[in-house]
Amino acid sequence: MANPVLADRSTATPDKPGRRPRPGFGRRDHVVGWLLIAPALVYFVGFLLYPAIAALYYSFTDWNLRSSPSWVGLSNYTDLLFDDVKYPHFWKSVQVSLLYTVVAVPLTLVAALGQALLVNAIRRGSNFFRLLLFLPVVTAEAAVGAIWRWLYDPQYGLINVILGWFGVPPQNWLNNPDLVIPALAFISAWQCGISMIIYLAGLKGIPVSLREAAIIDGAGPVQRFRRVVMPMLRPTTFYLLVTGVIAALQVFGLVYVIFSAANKSVTGGPEQAGLTYVLHLYLFAFRYDAMGAACAMSFILLVFIMIITALQFKFVKQEAA
Amino acid sequence: MKKVRLAPIYVALIVLAAISVVPFIWMLATSFKHGHDVYTKVPSLLPLDRKTGEWAPTLENYEYVFDLRGLGTAFVNSVWVCLILIPAKLLIDALAAYAFARVPFPGRDKLFVLMLGGMMVPTITLLVPRVFVTQELGLFDSQWGLIVPNIASVLDIFLLRQFFMSLPGELEEAARIDGAGRMQIFWQIIVPLSKPVLSVVTITSFIFHWNDLVWPLVVLNDPEKYTLPLALQQLATAEAGRSYYIMAGAAVAVVPVIAILLIFQRRILQGIAFSGLKS
Repeated sequence: MANPVLADRSTATPDKPGRRPRPGFGRRDHVVGWLLIAPALVYFVGFLLYPAIAALYYSFTDWNLRSSPSWVGLSNYTDLLFDDVKYPHFWKSVQVSLLYTVVAVPLTLVAALGQALLVNAIRRGSNFFRLLLFLPVVTAEAAVGAIWRWLYDPQYGLINVILGWFGVPPQNWLNNPDLVIPALAFISAWQCGISMIIYLAGLKGIPVSLREAAIIDGAGPVQRFRRVVMPMLRPTTFYLLVTGVIAALQVFGLVYVIFSAANKSVTGGPEQAGLTYVLHLYLFAFRYDAMGAACAMSFILLVFIMIITALQFKFVKQEAA
Repeated sequence: MKKVRLAPIYVALIVLAAISVVPFIWMLATSFKHGHDVYTKVPSLLPLDRKTGEWAPTLENYEYVFDLRGLGTAFVNSVWVCLILIPAKLLIDALAAYAFARVPFPGRDKLFVLMLGGMMVPTITLLVPRVFVTQELGLFDSQWGLIVPNIASVLDIFLLRQFFMSLPGELEEAARIDGAGRMQIFWQIIVPLSKPVLSVVTITSFIFHWNDLVWPLVVLNDPEKYTLPLALQQLATAEAGRSYYIMAGAAVAVVPVIAILLIFQRRILQGIAFSGLKS
C-alpha cells in the first residue's frame, strides 16, 4: 500500500504456511483458515471479482436490463471515442472531469497543507481546531450538496453576501457555466479535512533535530519550509495526490445532488458544465438503459486512472533521482 | 514574545474554522426559521422574525419533512440498515483478517494479494454488474439489497490484518499450550486487545454507510425503503425552492454523524491517520 503512515505498521511478518507448526495446531488449521475467510471470500467473488469480469464482458455487448446482452465487439469503445452523433457529450464529460481534477486537487492539497501547518504550530486548542476543520468530511454528500446549493443561491445565498462585503458583485454560481467548476472545487477544498489529518501525521513525523539544525544554520521560516518541511512531506503529498486524483476523476454523488435539485432532471448543469464523467456514466446505465456503453465508459476510466497513476509514480521517481 | 507570534496563527485558524462551521450553522438556522423569515435581504445566522427581529424559531419544517416527506421513515430505515450491516460486516472482516494474519494455510497469501488487487478496481466499474448480481439474488429494491452487497470490506480486512499482525504472539502461544482453540483465542485474546482498531473500523463504517447515496440510489425504487441520503436527495429535488425544508432534512442526516464525531473524536482522528478513511 502507498499509505505512508501504514508503512511502519507492516514490519511484523505473518507466519508463513511453510513454517514448523506451532504446538497445538496442525493440519486442522487449513480447514479453520478457509472457514474463517469463507464469508469474506463469498463476498469477494460475488461482489468484486465476478462484477469486475462481468463489467469487462458487458462492455463488449449491447445490453439493456430487459434483454440479454448481445456481443458487439469493440463498437461501444469506438463509438464512445469517435462517434459524436451517438454520444455527443462523451468528450465534454471527459473535459469536465479533467478540469475539475486539475482545479480541485491542488486547491484541496494546498488548503489541507495550510491548515495542517497552522494546527501544528499551536499547542492550546489544536484538538479543537482539528475537530472543527474535520466536520465537513463526515457530512453526507447529499447534505453537502443541499447545503451548498443554498449557500450558492444567487439571490439569498450566504456566499454572495460575504463576497459583497469585499465589493464582489453577486454571481449565479451554479448556473454560470464558467463558475460551476470553481464552485465545485471550493466544496472539495472545504472538505479537505482528511488530507489535513494525514498531513498533520506527516508533520509530526519530521524529527525536531532537523528543524533545529536548520535554525542553527540560519534558515528563516520560508527556507525551512522549502528545504526541510516540503521534502520531508513528499511521500505524504504524493500519496494524497494519487488518491486525490483517483477520487476527483470519479466525483459523482455531489454533482448528482447539486444538479438534480436544480431542474428536477439530471442534465449536468448549465451547458453540461457539471456533467462529470461518472455522472455521464450513471445516466447511461440508469437513465438511458445503455449498460454496455456504461461498462465501456467505466473501463476507459479504469485504464485512464491506471495510466495517470503510473505516470505520477514515474514522474516522482525521476524527480527523486 | 511567543504570544505575539502565535496571534496571527490563531486568527487564521479562526477564519478557517469559521469557513468550516458556518455552513452548518446556516443550515440549522434556516431549518428553524418560518418560511417567510428565510428569504431576507440580509441573511441571519439566527432564526429571527424578518419584521420585528425577534427570536422566532419553529419546529414546523422538521414536522413537515418527517411526516409528509418520509424523512421519519428514512431515519428508521437508515438506523435499521446500519444496526444489521455494521456488526455483521465487522465480524466477517475480523474473522477473515484473523485468518490472514495468524492462521496459515496453503494459498492464503496469494489470495490476500488477489483481494488487495480487487480493491484497486474503481467502485463505479463494479456498479452495473453489482446491481445485476443484487437483482439475481432477489434483493433489488429491498433493504437486504443494501446490506448483503456491502457485507464485507477488503480495506477493513487489510487494516485489521495489519493490526492483528502487530500484536505480540506470546499470549497466543501460552493459550495454545493451555489447550485453547482458534476461536477461543480469537474471542478472548485478539478481540480484547484490538478494541481500538475495531472501534475505528466500526465508526468509519458507520459514517460511510449512513452517508452513502450512490448504492441506495441504484438499488431502491420504493420511497418507503429509502435511507436518509436518498430521501434527502429526493426532498431537495421536490422542494427545490423551499430551502427551509431542505435544510431541516439535511440537519436530520448530518446531526447524528456530527454527534458520533464529537463523542469519538480522538478515536476517529487517530484512525484516519492510518486508514485514510474510505476512499
